[in-house]
Amino acid sequence: MSILETRNVTKRFGGLSAVDNVTLQIPEGSIYSIIGPNGAGKTTLYNCITGFYPADEGDMLFNGKSLMGLSPDRITRLGISRTYQNIRLFPAMTALENILVGAHPQLKSNYVDAFLHTPRQRAEEKKALEDAQDLLNFVGLKGKGDLFARGLPYGEQRRLEMARALANKPKIILLDEPTAGMNPNESVTMMRFIQSLRDELGITILLIEHDMKVEMGISEFIYVLDFGQLIAKGTPGEIQKNPQVIESYLGRGAA
Amino acid sequence: MKDLIKQGLRLGSIFGVVIIFLILFGLTSTLSDILGEFVNLESRTRTGNPGGLMILFALLSLWAGSSASASDRSNWKSALVSGVSVSLIIGLFVAAFILLVGFLDSADVEMRDYLAQLDHLSVQFLLYGRSLIAGVLITFGIFLIFGILGALLAYWYEAKQAGEVIQKQVLVLKEKALDSKLAKQYKENPRSKWIGYGLLGLVVFITPQFLGKYWNYAMGTVGIYVLMGLGLNIVVGLAGLLDLGYVAFFAIGAYTAGLLTAPAPLPLQIGFWPVLIFSIVMAAFAGILLGIPVLRMRGDYLAIVTLGFGEIIRVLIRSDMLAPYVGGPQGIRDIAGPSLFGIAFSGKAYLYLIIIAILLIILFTNYLQNSKVGRAWMAMREDETVAQAMGINTLYYKLMAFATGAAFAGLGGALFAARNQYTGPADHTLMVSINVLSLLIVGGMGSIPGVIVGAFVLKGLPEILRELDLYRLLVFGGLLVFMMIIRPEGIWPAPRRRMELHEGELDVLPPEESLVGKEG
Repeated sequence: MSILETRNVTKRFGGLSAVDNVTLQIPEGSIYSIIGPNGAGKTTLYNCITGFYPADEGDMLFNGKSLMGLSPDRITRLGISRTYQNIRLFPAMTALENILVGAHPQLKSNYVDAFLHTPRQRAEEKKALEDAQDLLNFVGLKGKGDLFARGLPYGEQRRLEMARALANKPKIILLDEPTAGMNPNESVTMMRFIQSLRDELGITILLIEHDMKVEMGISEFIYVLDFGQLIAKGTPGEIQKNPQVIESYLGRGAA
Repeated sequence: MKDLIKQGLRLGSIFGVVIIFLILFGLTSTLSDILGEFVNLESRTRTGNPGGLMILFALLSLWAGSSASASDRSNWKSALVSGVSVSLIIGLFVAAFILLVGFLDSADVEMRDYLAQLDHLSVQFLLYGRSLIAGVLITFGIFLIFGILGALLAYWYEAKQAGEVIQKQVLVLKEKALDSKLAKQYKENPRSKWIGYGLLGLVVFITPQFLGKYWNYAMGTVGIYVLMGLGLNIVVGLAGLLDLGYVAFFAIGAYTAGLLTAPAPLPLQIGFWPVLIFSIVMAAFAGILLGIPVLRMRGDYLAIVTLGFGEIIRVLIRSDMLAPYVGGPQGIRDIAGPSLFGIAFSGKAYLYLIIIAILLIILFTNYLQNSKVGRAWMAMREDETVAQAMGINTLYYKLMAFATGAAFAGLGGALFAARNQYTGPADHTLMVSINVLSLLIVGGMGSIPGVIVGAFVLKGLPEILRELDLYRLLVFGGLLVFMMIIRPEGIWPAPRRRMELHEGELDVLPPEESLVGKEG
C-alpha cells in the first residue's frame, strides 16, 4: 500500500506547467527519489504535496486520504515533514528551540495551559525538552542546543533542519536536495544518515536530488522529471541506462 | 602639525556653530539655570544665571579641547596645538556672535521679530550683565583657557595611563565579583534567584511610600504604559505583527470601564471589579474581531490597516452621532474607582493596584513566552511560511497574539480610566500607539525588563526633564535619536535581538536562559 500517492497532479503558473500530469506512488517504508535538471518542477511538486501551492488538477492521497484543499499545517500534522533546498531554519532561535518548534504538533497542551502554566503543560514541556535533546544528540549536535541556528556551520544547519523535521514524528519525510553544497565525503555520510532514518525509525523517505550519483546509492526507485513531466521511472539500474534520462541531463545527441 | 591645526579648526567651528544654535534656541539659559542652581549661584538676571552660563561654557570648551586632542596625545606640544586651535575658533565664533547681538541690542534693533530668544534681557544675560566689551572678552577668555586646559588635561590623563589602569582595575573587580563566593552561590543555588526577585519586589513595594502625590501619579502613568508595552511586546516583539493602532484596545478597555461604571451617558453604574474583567474580555474580543479579516495580511499592510482601525475607534468615540451612547468629545466623567471592603483605592493604593496588575501580567507573559505558544509566535516572526510547514496554525496563533495583546491594553485602559475617573477621545490618540511602540524599541524588543525600562525612559524621563521646561521634548527627542544610534537593540534587549543586530558577537544564549540546563 502506498503511503503517499499523487494522481495526475498539475500546477500551472500562467501559461507554464511547472508540474504537468505527474503520478507517483510511494510505498510505506521505502526510499524513493525524484531527480531532474534545474527547473524540472521537483520543488514545485513538494510545495503542492505540502499544501503551499494548491494543485490545479489531479489528486494527492496520504494513506488513502486526500490532501487537496488542506492547509500546510494540517498536512504537516498528518505526518508529512519536509526540509528545504536552501536551509530555512529559524535563525534567531536556538538549535533546541528550532527542534521544539518542529515538535509543535506533538504537544497537546493548549493556549490556556500555556497561559496558566498548568502541571499538565509543565510535564509535557519537560518531556518535549528531553525528546528534543535526544534528537539533537541523534543528529550529532550534542552540546550545541543553546547556539543560535544561524551561528551553526552549514553542515550542522542541514542536520538541525533534519532534526526539526523529525521532531514532528513524521510518517514520511520529503527531503529537498539534502546534500546540496556538500563535498562527496559529507554527501556519503548524509546519505547513510538518511538511510538510518528509514532503517531505525521506519520513516518513509522521498528525496529530491539534482545530482544522479548520490541517488543511486540508497534509492530503491527513481522518478525522473523534466519540464514538469514524468519522463522515466524505474530502479537506479534502469534509470542509468534510460536514453531519455541521459538526453535530458546531457543534452540531445549525447545518448 | 598642519593636520592638527586643521582638525582643531574644523572641530572648533562645529562646536562654535552648535553653541550659537543653543543660544538661539534659548537652551543656554535653561542649562545655565540648572548648573547655577547646582553650585548655588544666585541668579542675577531674569533670563538665566550668568555664573551658570560661565560654567556651561567652561564645560563645553573642556569637552571640545579634550576631544580635539584625541587624535594625537603623544606629546604635550601637539595636545597644546590642538587645544589652542580648537578653543581659538570656538571663542571667535561665540564671541563674535555675542558681539554682534550685543551691538545690535545697544543700537536698539528689535531682533525678537526674527529670533524669539534674543530680547534685551537675554542679551544682557549673555554679557553676564556687564558691558559689551567685558562680556565678549570674558566669553572669549573662558573658551580659550578651558579649551587649552581640556586638551592638556586629556594629555596628562593619557600620559599617566590613568585610563588603562582604571580600566584594568574595573576588569579585575568584575572578575573578582564574578568569582566571589556569593556569586558562585547565586549561580549554583536556584533559590537565590528567588531571593533576588524577593528583594526587587520589596523595593518595588516600598518605593511608593516615599513618593509624593505628583510622582505617584506620574509613576502610575508609567505603570499603565508598562502594561500596554507588555501587551504590544507580545504582538510586535514576539509574534512580529506590526500593530500601529494599538490604542484602539486601550480605548475599548477605558470606555468599557467608563460606560459601565459612570452615571452618564449610560446609567449602569456597575461596580469596578466585574467591569475590570469585562473590559479585558471586551478588548480581547475586539482583538479577535479585528484580527479575523486583517491577519491574513503581512508586514506593512497589516501596519496600515491597524493604523486605520485605531483612528476609526478614536473618530467613533469622538463623533456626535454616538455621543448619546459614548459621551462624544466631552468623554465620560465620574467613572467609579475601585474599592475593597468599603475603602476606596486612591493615590498610593492605586499605584499598588497597578503594580500588582503588572506583576501578574509579567508572570503570564513569562509563561506564554516559554511555552509552545511563545515558540510558535517566535517561529512566525522568523519565517511565517516555514512556521506553517511545522504544523503551526498561523492564523490561530496570530489571533491569540492579537487577543492577548489587546487584553493587556484593555486592562491598562480600564485602570487608566478608573484612576482619572474620566476618559475622553483626547486620551486615545495615535500618539499613544506611537509611544507604546517607541518604548518597546527604546527598551528592547521582545524583552520584559526592556519594556519596563522603556516605559520609564519614555514616560518617566519627560517628567524628570520637566526642569528643562519647553525644551524637554527637544532634549528628549535628541536623546532618543542618540540612543538608537549607539544602541539600536534597545537598553535592555532580549539576547536574540542583540544577536541579530551584532552579528558574530553573540551566538549562544546566556546561561540563565539556557534550555539545556533545564532538561531532566
